[in-house]
Amino acid sequence: MKSFAYVSARDVPTAVSAIAGSPNAKFLGGGTNLVDLMRGNIEQPDTIVDITRLPLTGVDLLPDGGVRIGALVRNSHLAAHPLIRSRYPVLSQAILLGASAQLRNMATVGGNLLQRTRCLYFYDTAAACNKRAPGSGCDAIGGFNRNHAILGVSDNCLATHPSDMCVALAMLDATVEVESTRGVRRIPMNEFHVLPGDTPHVETSLAADELVTAVELPSVAVAANSRYRKVRDRASYAFALVSVAAALEVTGTTVTQVRLALGGVSAKPWRATKAEEVLLGAPATEESFRQAAAAELAAATARPGNEFKIGLAERTIVAVLRELVTKGDAA
Amino acid sequence: MIIGKPLDRVDGPAKVTGAAKYAADQHIPGLTHAVLVTSAIARGKIIRIDTGQAARSPGVLSVITHHNGPRFAYQPPKHPWIYGQTHVPLQNDVIYHSGQIVAVVIADTLERARYAATLIQIDYAVETPEISVEANLDKAFIPERGPFNLRYEYRRGDAHGALATAPVRVSGRYRTSMQHHNPMEPTATTAVWDGDHLTLYETTQALAFTRQKTAEMLGVDQKQVRVVSPYLGGGFGAKGYVWPHTFITAAIARSLGRPVKLVLTRAQSYTMHGHRAETVQELSVGATRDGTITAFVHSAVSQTSMLNEVSWEEMDATTQLYACPNAELTRRVVRLNLGTPTPMRAPLSVGGYALESIMDELSHATGVNPLELRLRNYSTHNPENPSQPWGTGKFLRDCYELGAKLFDWPHRLPRPRSTRRDGGWIGVGMATAFHPTYVSAATVSIRMDADGKALVRSATQDIGTGTYTIVTQTVADALGVPAKSVRFELGDTNFAPSAPSIGSRTAASVGTAAHHAGSALKDKVIAIAVADHRSPLYGIPAAQVTAADGQLFHRLDPRRRETYADVLRRHGPVDSEAVWPAAPGISRSYGAVFAEVTVDDATGEVRVTRLVGAFDIGRVLNAKTARSQAIGGMIWGLGTALTEHTIVDEHLGRILTANLSGYLVPVEADVPDVDIAFVDKADPAASDIGAKGVGELASNGATAAIANAVCHATGRRVRDLPITPDKLL
Amino acid sequence: MRVNITVNGEARQVDDVWPGESLLYVLRERLGLPGSKNACEQGECGSCTVYMDGTPVCACLVAAGQAEGREVRTVEGLASGDTLDRVQQAFVDAGAVQCGFCTPGLVVAAHDLLTRTPQPSDPEIREALAGNLCRCTGYEKILDAVRMAARS
Repeated sequence: MKSFAYVSARDVPTAVSAIAGSPNAKFLGGGTNLVDLMRGNIEQPDTIVDITRLPLTGVDLLPDGGVRIGALVRNSHLAAHPLIRSRYPVLSQAILLGASAQLRNMATVGGNLLQRTRCLYFYDTAAACNKRAPGSGCDAIGGFNRNHAILGVSDNCLATHPSDMCVALAMLDATVEVESTRGVRRIPMNEFHVLPGDTPHVETSLAADELVTAVELPSVAVAANSRYRKVRDRASYAFALVSVAAALEVTGTTVTQVRLALGGVSAKPWRATKAEEVLLGAPATEESFRQAAAAELAAATARPGNEFKIGLAERTIVAVLRELVTKGDAA
Repeated sequence: MIIGKPLDRVDGPAKVTGAAKYAADQHIPGLTHAVLVTSAIARGKIIRIDTGQAARSPGVLSVITHHNGPRFAYQPPKHPWIYGQTHVPLQNDVIYHSGQIVAVVIADTLERARYAATLIQIDYAVETPEISVEANLDKAFIPERGPFNLRYEYRRGDAHGALATAPVRVSGRYRTSMQHHNPMEPTATTAVWDGDHLTLYETTQALAFTRQKTAEMLGVDQKQVRVVSPYLGGGFGAKGYVWPHTFITAAIARSLGRPVKLVLTRAQSYTMHGHRAETVQELSVGATRDGTITAFVHSAVSQTSMLNEVSWEEMDATTQLYACPNAELTRRVVRLNLGTPTPMRAPLSVGGYALESIMDELSHATGVNPLELRLRNYSTHNPENPSQPWGTGKFLRDCYELGAKLFDWPHRLPRPRSTRRDGGWIGVGMATAFHPTYVSAATVSIRMDADGKALVRSATQDIGTGTYTIVTQTVADALGVPAKSVRFELGDTNFAPSAPSIGSRTAASVGTAAHHAGSALKDKVIAIAVADHRSPLYGIPAAQVTAADGQLFHRLDPRRRETYADVLRRHGPVDSEAVWPAAPGISRSYGAVFAEVTVDDATGEVRVTRLVGAFDIGRVLNAKTARSQAIGGMIWGLGTALTEHTIVDEHLGRILTANLSGYLVPVEADVPDVDIAFVDKADPAASDIGAKGVGELASNGATAAIANAVCHATGRRVRDLPITPDKLL
Repeated sequence: MRVNITVNGEARQVDDVWPGESLLYVLRERLGLPGSKNACEQGECGSCTVYMDGTPVCACLVAAGQAEGREVRTVEGLASGDTLDRVQQAFVDAGAVQCGFCTPGLVVAAHDLLTRTPQPSDPEIREALAGNLCRCTGYEKILDAVRMAARS
């Protein structure tokens, strides 16, 4: 690990001032990803601004029925919060299916949004990686890419975003609030993470001097019948091969509301709008579910190593929707 | 009798409170810290190595490369056993594999050494590495037999002829993965010189190996080297042999004149002390229509390194487990630009997986229940030597019966892919476990003091298996004293030389020596007592005196008695020492493993829902530690079946999963309910105390049982481990 | 920099800490508490699990500065004198210990589970301890130990 200056901030203005004008400074939240990356010399900041003492730890009901979550709320705290468990079960489930208890206890909401890919080549400084070292190439493309992206990929990068929480946030149309010395800005979740294109090292629309201060969830009635399903290589504590966040309302036999997002398939949490379009107003049948899944995955591009993800994503979408129909009936 | 009882681990309290001091926990005054720099490429040469910036970095005491590397008194030979590998790093500019040691930085603190290590600049001339077994099958060759006498070829009868004429023939091509041991404790060594005497605080499964080979490399007498390892955080083979990081650290400490500590990072543990080799196996079985096996033809290729030709994955189960007149086994290797393979818990499990899978395939082909098929081909004599009956030491039939009963194994299996529950296919499978039983010479010394307490010592190891506890029990039984009167110290070459902890041999070997040492000490004290007119036992023939619960007494008149302490208060401490030279013959241990799995219909995820193992491990020395070993072994096999796979980039030769998030070992949530049964009958052919090894035996069987259950659940035979969801879609 | 931490109830002041050091490094190398184990240093194995302000965390991923002013409790701080905590005792009684290297982290994680959930179900135990890797025991006896401690 390279030497760095350590600053502990007590309030937001101090934190954003500390980082303004220091392009190579980083905020330190829970540290569960950043400390590891620094130890591996993948991140090499000059200055660390420790924000763990900022007063951004509230989970509050908003007047419009939404919920505002402070950026420093710990993942385990959020997953267990009654407001989240009752109104957004998909979010609670997604968080609890990520990482381990110890990591969820440290990891923050803001940090989870900003976690870096788990691409094995990104972590190996002896390999070419356009994300870590822009312009160096991508060894994953001709190499081991079983865990890699199939949607929104570019010729420069196949990395996926590893978060489970973000998949649920994308499904819920969350908004990310950010702040810098220039003021406050609100970014829709779907625009927060960006596709790799020619600049895979740019992962979000956040500016270097901006601090994530909160995430706001709108009131989403259909979220009461929602579910997060994560497919992985072992029963717990593994990243998703594919994950699905879904919410469904069926009136009679017709889909009247649906939301769907995928994880493990793209550089961003993937909102499955094509599938949603197919499903809305369609009969809630296995056939519709299959058509919707196929419509979403039609644009997928795979390599031999990750081709299985296309079928796996389709089957998982169908399985989750089927389950929500059954569950909705039971409710 | 204390032997066999589920005595709590005597080292338990120290381990649950954090008081147990492992190799990296020792406090040494004036300690310096070494950090390794490893090769970024898999094949080629170093053309420039710039250490200037690192050397000037704060706290740095020394930077070592091949230009100024330590020179050694010895070069490990082509067949290096008990060195891990032939190659000695830091001697020249050649790179044989990625992750090879190319520089060492020593600094006053660990963090300063780590930082300086990042400042070293290296330019390489890169050559294209050979990484793939499959791509090099045409270059496979049969290695020379090394000093360990690994067997690469065997044939009896006319296997090909018998196969060609067999009414039923089944063939399969099986692939097993490169795997890493990943003991939880990282490998560590601390070298402390006092004049020309060296003390090594070492993570080792074999104190004696470390002492002998470090002395040889450094050109000093073995007596000048002391190796200390009171607690070991698991080894599984990774810490079995002597690898370069140990003697390099010792050599650097000598030239620096300061104690040096090296702890490998998790990533470095993937290239510093071996791995389980990847294999590609072709196996055919011929049988009559009723399932009587007439021929096995087994041909395997496994990876080896550029400088060493070795394959540890012995496949003797194919030729020794089932009665079969014709058999052929051929094992070849291909050289790759990867490190040298080493044994990993249960080397025989790799071939055993293929054998027990093909047995299942034969069961499907003949319609004979898998359990019945195995009974039909039960061997009462060694199939390699029909004049040699297996005798009284084989209780595999008992294992089948015990296991089948515990699992409720069905007499008739439903068709594959016919049972569903909660969106998943259910399947059951079984397999036989088979393992040789090794023993080594061991010495145990005992001193009993005037307080009647016995201090037992032996230069062996407790790698987590329970050596501390079972030796304590064995000595207590032999002496006839309570376990709390016995204290066992191990892990120090200052004690009497003893057995290595490799190949599941510690309990049988050290346990036998402990039994003899305890008996000898009891006899000595009895002899003193019966000759002492102050003793109530005076004049009784020694053979009529025995001991229990700390008391010596007349067998015929138990009122005549006194305690050990009474005798020793009059006569002073008594010592005994016993050497057990180890029996020449090899026995076998057996087991039967049964598994139930659920395979998710939509996603292909496999979850094991039930595991049962019944094992013939000879006499059970401690019901609690043996059971824990057996469960641990079966879950080890579960990892091999479902999750564990070291992934190497085929172009770069880099190990991509050199951590614990890419290399997936089973977690608590993967583990089903596990039932264990032991036959618990002594095998006097294995050791004088009738015990056989358990750790590796139990790792056999589970892999194939799970793979067979997956096939039964889904109707799909995956012959490529691990069985991940993508292979079942 | 200087870091003030309360460790196992005792206020400790540590000087000349380099900001890149972890809480685990401070505990093991500077405060003489090697009970918490360094097995992966990447937050992937749980061997270094300690309580920080009453919550179990991987000490290897906590930057030293983040521990400033916090209360830390390690495996060394669970027993009262010679009397083992009920979780420690259950690990011994159940045979949940083999090599012992994962044990300190597991004991802390299990201790926390029973503090929050006095009567956990088996799936709750399995999931709560999924972040603590063990290579020896096959976990079954660890499950037994937690069940046993919950009853005691």
